[in-house]
Amino acid sequence: MVACGAGFAGDRIEPAVEFARSGLVDAVVLECLAERTLIGALEQRRNDPAAGFDRRLKRRLAPLLPWAVHHGVRIVSNLGAANPLAAGEAIVGLAKQLGIDGLRVAVVTGDDLVERADRVRWADPLAAGQWPPWLGVHAYLGMGEIAEAVAEGADVVVTGRTADSALFAGPVAAALDLDDAALAGAMTVGHLLECGGQLTGGNLAASRGRVLSAAELADLGYPLATVLPDGSAEISVLPGKPARIDELGVALQLLYEVHDPSAYLTPDVTLDFSTVRLEQVDDRTVRVHGAGARTRPESLKAVGFLLHPGLVADLEIAYAGDGALARARTAGETMALRLGGLGLTDFRIDHVGVDAVLGGGSRPLVADPVEVRMHVSVRCPTDELAQAAEDELYALTLAGPAGGAGMRSECRVNVEVVSGLVDRDDVVGRVEWCAR
Amino acid sequence: MRVRDLAAGRAGDKGSILDLTLVAFDDEAYRTLERALTADVVRGWLHRTVDGPVERYEVPGVRALKFVAGEALGGGLFASLRAGVHWQKAAIWLLLDEEIPG
Repeated sequence: MVACGAGFAGDRIEPAVEFARSGLVDAVVLECLAERTLIGALEQRRNDPAAGFDRRLKRRLAPLLPWAVHHGVRIVSNLGAANPLAAGEAIVGLAKQLGIDGLRVAVVTGDDLVERADRVRWADPLAAGQWPPWLGVHAYLGMGEIAEAVAEGADVVVTGRTADSALFAGPVAAALDLDDAALAGAMTVGHLLECGGQLTGGNLAASRGRVLSAAELADLGYPLATVLPDGSAEISVLPGKPARIDELGVALQLLYEVHDPSAYLTPDVTLDFSTVRLEQVDDRTVRVHGAGARTRPESLKAVGFLLHPGLVADLEIAYAGDGALARARTAGETMALRLGGLGLTDFRIDHVGVDAVLGGGSRPLVADPVEVRMHVSVRCPTDELAQAAEDELYALTLAGPAGGAGMRSECRVNVEVVSGLVDRDDVVGRVEWCAR
Repeated sequence: MRVRDLAAGRAGDKGSILDLTLVAFDDEAYRTLERALTADVVRGWLHRTVDGPVERYEVPGVRALKFVAGEALGGGLFASLRAGVHWQKAAIWLLLDEEIPG
């Protein structure tokens, strides 16, 4: 039985602790590495070669490790981010602080391809000759090294970039002797579980079925799965935890971000979800079976982060009361003129509360909004110009339309994400053991 | 009748790809959506907000339709200047709010 204790780096701490404390599961997986998180970790590693793993490592693992060790529950996580070896050492150090002896920590390496970026077949060959420097390049590793580490007795397996589903399939593979159907089942379970509460009633846009209350969402049960040797699985939550687990929600997560449902590429197998069937077993359990397995893809997916110079400034200011929208529009037009005066032309102005999120697809206003935020995002070629753009926002409070309030601004690195394919021979995944 | 009366939905993304999933409440709802939500119809809805081609996939086994817009999020989420870097998480409402013939 495998459980999802976290579905992104900032996810709740206690679901994993509850799984470990229950003693009911064999492994708890912490999925903590979205592309955005990896970008942040790469930035940290650039400034400090000893950094670059999840900064929440201690906060997440300190309450979890004692229970996991007590019940023999394995922990698998990609919180190694851009520096899995340093994360492994940090976990060993944390275990010592907690008085845990002999914790076996395995680190999966080999995803970092920044020295081999030229071996990747990038999807955008036109740009290949004129790219800015790489912030990082990573291959998506499969479940092989994770399964190997678990089979050799790891208590904790820490990785960098792997396919999220492989984090879950790894410990399942170590427990079961996987044929094609079981492999497909294990990877399907991994795909279903990787977003945590999204499988058990979170982020579910449905006008039918049970609506979870705030109190239930605040204590939401995260998913666990029992995988059988035939590849079928039962999705549920711990006893007593609130959740909505129905065919609708499982189907939505099954197809989440898979693009072509009959050919979902993972490093270990191409999955066919068109044959999957779902059955409600009881009011908190859904059975999943029938995923098809096709051959392993020839190449692995790679992702690259290109560091463009300068910053993107995100700027916001609020207007309220009668005529709020008109004043917000005037503020936007004023900003456009001022940014143009700075020579900045790559910007977008939106009105939060009107059409900032869905743009032209927003439903029309039925009345003037009583408050609106004017939002500008502007790409600035230098840090100095980003500062000047930020200053222009604050200048609106004295020299812009009346009542500009609630200003906020932040600058983010100007990173472009590109994807490509890399031959398996160019990617060497390894299991390394941390000294106890 | 709106799409949300017949189906649940969720939006996702990968790189420049916007990936939308609808799951119908029952078989009849699935047949209605399958008829009404052609790739052309959905492309028209999405093009008020994003550009590029739209691919439709049918998954009758779980009563689902998928709409995949491969060039909708050019440069990835982090290159976006739209207010709210993760705006695409709300993009399912571009479908759920639409009227369809009953």
